[in-house]
Amino acid sequence: MANRPAPAPKTKPPKSGSGRAGPAAARGAKRSKTPMRELLDSYFSHHRKVAKDSARRLWRTPVASLMTWTVMGVALALPVGLLLLLTSLQGVSAGWESAARVTVYLEDHLSLEDAGRLRVDIGARGDVSEVELIDKSAALEEFRVSSGLKDALDYLDENPLPHTLLATPAEGSRTEAGMTALVDALEQTGGVAQVQVDLGWLQRLAAITEVLGRGVWALGALLAVAVILVIGNTIRLAIESRREEILVAKLVGGTDAFVRRPFLYTGLWFGFGGGVVAFVLLQLTLWFLSEPVERLAGLYRSNFALSGLSFEGTVALIAAAVLFGWLGAWLAVKRHLDAIEPG
Amino acid sequence: MIEFQQVSKRYDDDHTALRQINFSLGRGEMAFLTGHSGAGKSTLLKLIMLMERPSAGHVIVGGQLLNKMPRRQVPYIRRHVGVVFQNHHLLFDRTVFDNVAMPLEVMGTPSRDIGRRVRAALDKVGLLTKERMNPMQLSGGEQQRVGIARAVVNKPPVLLADEPTGNLDPALSADIMQLFQQFSQVGVTVLIASHDIALINDMNRRTLVLDGGRLIRGGDLPAAEDQREVLRG
Repeated sequence: MANRPAPAPKTKPPKSGSGRAGPAAARGAKRSKTPMRELLDSYFSHHRKVAKDSARRLWRTPVASLMTWTVMGVALALPVGLLLLLTSLQGVSAGWESAARVTVYLEDHLSLEDAGRLRVDIGARGDVSEVELIDKSAALEEFRVSSGLKDALDYLDENPLPHTLLATPAEGSRTEAGMTALVDALEQTGGVAQVQVDLGWLQRLAAITEVLGRGVWALGALLAVAVILVIGNTIRLAIESRREEILVAKLVGGTDAFVRRPFLYTGLWFGFGGGVVAFVLLQLTLWFLSEPVERLAGLYRSNFALSGLSFEGTVALIAAAVLFGWLGAWLAVKRHLDAIEPG
Repeated sequence: MIEFQQVSKRYDDDHTALRQINFSLGRGEMAFLTGHSGAGKSTLLKLIMLMERPSAGHVIVGGQLLNKMPRRQVPYIRRHVGVVFQNHHLLFDRTVFDNVAMPLEVMGTPSRDIGRRVRAALDKVGLLTKERMNPMQLSGGEQQRVGIARAVVNKPPVLLADEPTGNLDPALSADIMQLFQQFSQVGVTVLIASHDIALINDMNRRTLVLDGGRLIRGGDLPAAEDQREVLRG
């Protein structure tokens, strides 16, 4: 039937699909499959079968599997949790950076009109988004109120404060380099006595975040190695317990790939379960911490909030876990499975 | 189908298991391999199923020279050699059916063919009704027959058996031999290692006798010599 050169007209299925022709046509298609196609089908169905079988084996020993998943979950949740905390912190420092303003003290002799002109000039710069003028009498008034030196200030004959401009850098120049360039430019401007910007704490915060970031990555790398080794060891035990089966499979002509497959899938499932446990642990921790963190942030009048895992982040976490599981299994299989030879 | 040319096997510790073995078995031929324990029977079988490699000489199975066969080719050769083991090597974590299906599974046989062929093999050894049982529930003779079904399920051209009747009583042993005879009748080359002299004599087949690693009887090449004589005449 498969080799028939052309189908007889009456067996040709009608173009407007009628219900009855469907199954017959499908059967015909199945029979005329090429051997290559058949081999591929059986290859994939074997993969499905092995994947299902490996998952079932893990379910059959739920306590042992859950323990392995939890070990993986904890090891993965720790660096990912720290990474999330760091991301939240970076969000905060970005907020502070936007609030960083450059204080420009003008020369004493400048009149209010000159100061107003300078304000317009500086405001026209590309790297400045906003300039506020604080006139010296207003500044003195404020100082009098806030410093508590009211009486002492009354003894002064004249206002010692200069006119001041508060420049807010534009979005694009809120970097260390941008700020330095802006400060330099303002210092060159005529009529400017002194420019002050507290870059120090910004630099410190950036440095701290960088150290923390690297630390988290180093910790993550160490824990990833630990996860791979844990899975490798678990797979090694699984290989030992199925030694007889491996021997028979090799004796009846199973290729190395065939014999390895169940264990690689087991590693994959361990990884998947570990990723899910890590996700659950992260969500629980987030829920547990969110209230006190909000209260703390409220005390500092900050809208800081711990950010959870995004959908992409979750997918990446589980994919990484699956990869680690597979890698661990691969290491164990490479070391221990190839050593099992009949003879 | 199986050919040994000047085959020797020496193990690392200077123990020589086989010395200059010469014999050949044709398609559908059934032969026994006998000798005392340690005479080299197991080693000879291991050379055919590529569990060992010869130290010298050529081992040819199905026209393929096995000596230098790369490791990754080994599984494909083994698929052409069915083996019945003395200790069955059955897996007790699965049913009789799944045990017999293993050689088909490793070959990637489509599942609907697996069912058909496994049942055909089980039918052949008379265990069709026990396919759902665990091999542990079966008697020794039945376990051995499951092993035979597994060895022949993918219709290999060569069938090896290592003491297949080792622990069986004479009646059961005769049944098993009957089975092997049937396989040889359909063209399978059968080589049975056994030290059950009475059984071998009953079967009245070609017998290769090993002693201290040498083939002392049955090692001539009857087919080749016959041909030479025909040519001379």
